[in-house]
This record gives sequence, C-alpha cells and structure tokens, in this order.
Amino acid sequence: MAVQELLNKFHDIAANPGKQMEAYLKAGKRVVLCAPVYTPEEIVHAMGAVPMGAWGADTELQLSKKYFPAFICSIMQSILELGIKGTYDGASAIIIPSLCDSLKCLGENWKYAVPDITFIPMVHPQNRAGEAGRAFTKAGYQRVIKTLEKLFATTYDDAALWGSIRIYNEHNAVMREVSALLAEHPEISACARSDIFKSAMFMLKEEHTALVKDLIEALKRSPAGETKVKVLISGIIADSHSLNSIFDDLGIQIVADDVAAQSRQYRTDAPEAETALDSLVLKFSGMGNCSLLFDVDKKRADLIVKTAQETGARGVIVILTKFCDPEEFDYVIIKSRCEEAGLPVTLVEVDRQMVNYEQARTIIETFKDMI
Amino acid sequence: MVTLGIDIGSTTSKCALLKDGAEIIATSLYSGGIGTDSPGKALAEVFSSSGYTINEVACSTVTGYGRGSFKGADYQVSELSCHALGGRLIFPKLRTLIDVGGQDAKVILLSESGKMINFLMNDKCAAGTGRFLEVMANVLQLKVGDLEAVAAKSEKPAKISSTCTVFAESEVISQLAGSVPIPDIVAGICESVAARTAALAKRVGVVEQVCMSGGVALNGGVRKALEEALEVEIAFSPLSQLFGAIGAALFAYNKIQAQ
Repeated sequence: MAVQELLNKFHDIAANPGKQMEAYLKAGKRVVLCAPVYTPEEIVHAMGAVPMGAWGADTELQLSKKYFPAFICSIMQSILELGIKGTYDGASAIIIPSLCDSLKCLGENWKYAVPDITFIPMVHPQNRAGEAGRAFTKAGYQRVIKTLEKLFATTYDDAALWGSIRIYNEHNAVMREVSALLAEHPEISACARSDIFKSAMFMLKEEHTALVKDLIEALKRSPAGETKVKVLISGIIADSHSLNSIFDDLGIQIVADDVAAQSRQYRTDAPEAETALDSLVLKFSGMGNCSLLFDVDKKRADLIVKTAQETGARGVIVILTKFCDPEEFDYVIIKSRCEEAGLPVTLVEVDRQMVNYEQARTIIETFKDMI
Repeated sequence: MVTLGIDIGSTTSKCALLKDGAEIIATSLYSGGIGTDSPGKALAEVFSSSGYTINEVACSTVTGYGRGSFKGADYQVSELSCHALGGRLIFPKLRTLIDVGGQDAKVILLSESGKMINFLMNDKCAAGTGRFLEVMANVLQLKVGDLEAVAAKSEKPAKISSTCTVFAESEVISQLAGSVPIPDIVAGICESVAARTAALAKRVGVVEQVCMSGGVALNGGVRKALEEALEVEIAFSPLSQLFGAIGAALFAYNKIQAQ
C-alpha cells in the first residue's frame, strides 16, 4: 500500500473512534475504556476485550462542569463529558488510574455521573521500583482482574496474558521504529504523525502493528522530502488538528516527542518474569521519564535534551495542558536543563476547549524565527 | 528601494514605508484592528502622505494579530519578530523590548548583535494589557490618553490587583466607594499593569538597553511604574506604537537583500 493510502487509513481511524467501537461491538467483542495513563491494557486484551483509549476530545464542556471546579484539567473533564453525553455507550467498563489528583476526581465522579459504564479503579504506587511498590502494583492489577472476571463471567489466564504482552511489546517496538523513521521523512505532516499515534488508541494492538509495519515498509521505499525546521514536542497530549496544522503551515517537522499520549506509552516493554502478571508489574516499575511518575532526579528533562540532540531538533516546544500541575512542575526543570544544553525551549498552553489557536500560532511562528 | 510594513493589531492598524531599510518615509495609524476597515485606511494614508504608490513598493510584509486575514503582502511574519526588528532600528543598542499592546503583552530578549534569543507572551488574560487600561478608564469615566496626566497628580498610589481585570474593576469601584482620590486610583492602575509586565520581563531576563513598544508605551505613568519595578531606565520613542510596522518593512527589505 502507498504511504498516502496508509496515512488516510490512520486518519480515518483517529478521527472516528466511535466507528471503530461500533465495529468491534458489532463483531461481538467487548470494549473496555482505558483512561490515561499507563492503564494495564494487556490485562483487558488477555481477557478477550478491546482496550480502547479514552483521552477525551476537543469539545465544549457543559455537563461535566456539574462535577468539577472551573480550573482543572480539561482532558479528564472531557472524558466525563463524553461519558455523560453517551459517546462511550456500549463500553463494558472504564479503567481509570489515579496517577494525578485530577484523575482521582475523575474516578470518583464517574461512579455517579456515568453509572451504566462500570468504573474500575487502578491505583498505582508512586514508589514503584521497590519490592513493596511492586507488590502494591500487583495487588492493583489483581483488583482489575477480579472486576473484569466478574463483569465478563470469565477466568483470568496467565498464559493468555503472556500472549497479550508479546503483542504489546511488538507494538511498542514498531511504534519506536516508526517514530524514528518519521524523523527522516519531513514530508509526513505533523497532523499525519499525530494520526498514527492516536489511531493506536482505538485499535487492537495486533491490528495497529500490522498497519504500522506496512507504513514502515512503504516509508522505506519512499524518498525523503525537503528538510524542514526540526523540533521536539513534549506534553500530555498533542492531538489537536488545529495545533498540528500550525506546525505544518509553518514548515516545522516534529522529529521526536515526549508526549504522554504518544511516545511515552511505548518506551518500556514488559520483561521476562516468573508469571505474566509479574512481567506486567516489572514493566510499570521500570517506567520513568514522565511527569506523572515520581522521580526525584527528574531524569525526564535529561532524556528530552538527549533525544533532541540525537534527532537534530533545533528546539523544544512544551505543549502544556492548562491546569496540569505535574507538567507545570516539570516545565521549570525542563526549561532549565534545555537552556543549560543551549537548546531553545518555548511553551504553548492548550486545553480541550480551545477553539482559537492564534496565540499558539504566534508563539510557534516566533520560536521558528528564533531558532 | 521602498518596502512596506503593515501591522494589523487587535485594536489598531499601522503602516510604515521604509527607504533602503533605514529611512522611515511615512507612517500611518488608525484605531480599529482586525475585522475593521482600518487596515485599508492605514494603507491608503501611508501612500497619500508619502506620495508613493503601491507599484513603487519592492516588497511588503504583514504582521500582527490580523496578519492571517490580510491578502496581498509578500510575507507574513509574527509581530514579535517585527517588533524586535523595528525596535532595533530605532534603538540600535536595544537588548530587551517590552511590547504591551491592546490585548497582549510580550517581552523579547535580543543578543548583542540583535538576534532574538528569548521571548515570552502573557497568558490569555486582559490583565497587564491595553484592554485593562481601557476598562479601568471607562470605570473612571476618563480617556485612556488622560491616564498619564491624572496619575502624575497622585500622592499615594492605591493598591490594585494585577491578577485579573474583572477583580481589579471591582477593586476600583471599591476604592471609589472609599473616596480614594482618582489620581491615586489611576496611579495604582498604572502600577498594576507595570507589576504584571515586570513579572513577565523578569521571567525572560532584563538586559539593558530596555525599551517599550505598543500602545501602552505611550502611557508615561505605566512606563515610570515599570522603570521602578524593574529598576532600569526604559527608552521611549514616539514611534513606539509603530515598531511592528517598521519592523515588517525592514523584514521585507532584508528579504530582498538576501535574494
């Protein structure tokens, strides 16, 4: 398949998650929504359901305001908004981790605002690397399993989880490969890059892997386009078409990302372990470089600098989700480490309700002039 | 060679004609920015006052908030880049430019050679912008242009919040109810804008020479309060509102030279 044909497929899936969910439901599959971030999708997959990303949408917030104060993360508000409005109808359950304070509120409010879709809490430990942290994570996963067993009247099978882990590890690998390859293809727009990552949330990973592999092969056959100004982006989410269009209009190429909804998902594989569940626990305990995962050394900032230098990015654009405290805290450190490394950095504030991106355009345009 | 710069802001439209990238031939400024007929009027005036015609313009650049809606310019550039160029043309040793316009504020840091090395824009909020001054002047039934003279009569500036225009408006009304003299309230308003702008400038880093551009630069009360807040002298030019247009014309000149 040609590159453009594949990109059109990714776009169609990324732009129509409802269509995807409907198709899976029609095929007799169960769908479990996976809210941000680091939800143990492999467990859902192993228990025969389709894990579908629920990161909200760019939409006006009306009904969710009944449950939240004004100044709180719009990603999580929009998840509840879609839940109340019935967009997720048909899903069997939603797993909501509590890695930030806003997500804790989402879970609590979900129970009352969307009672028809079962809320499954997933409580991760912040001190995740030690023995106690791993035991805590395992207990959290076991609670998720128990709820799904009850909901689906089925029994958890560790061998099935090994199968799912292999599928997810392979998906991680192809996502890392395609990300690196896209850096060599400036002709692939920021909008298309976003679609490739976003579509992964709405597909079974084995299906997405197959599509990404096709894209990798097609890209390898395709000549690289004209060079653009290279940047690295960082943040929680960067899937807005309006925002990505600014990069494309200005001739800027995203050569790498440190975005929670994109590459941060695919950095860590589940390793070999005694049981599949232990492997999944080790995966989480080995994760890092994220504002939502406690790290006293804030190594994330160093990773951003290193990745930018390796990919030839001339600057770092932090896409800050408004009212995201963990990202706001990290920005200070990121800015300082980037500046120490001589890497220009700027900040663009976004939220799920944003309709006017003119200030973002001016900032990105000026940043391009500057670098 | 004549080049043209057009700066369509949120509340005003400005044009400048530049000869050989150095001599300002003519400028024009009209109230009314994006979505009004002012850009067309400003364009017509800059030609009628200079005697030049559009056919004599070698290259043109449009900048400002309304740059995307203006068709016909050769280049479209962000207002920060243009303000930096325009400011540096007027003040060759300029290192920090503080631009406070009708709806936003920006601070631009330049290297010794004039290259932009850092910048920051305000949050999406009217506090610390020209709009803040307009709202406050309206509450006090004053003209924005009169604020400087009224503030000069103040003996003890009132405390006005710099966080939010809506809250500050309530505070001004409370101060009026408390019979605080109007000059003290106006001086407090100027200090409020200066405090907000100073915080922005300090985040970027202030290196002398410092100058102000944008409509609010015309208000000596704000300039004085900002000088005190930053503890630096702030250079001022009567052309401060036109830096964007002048910089746009200079950008066009540089483009031709680079070809």
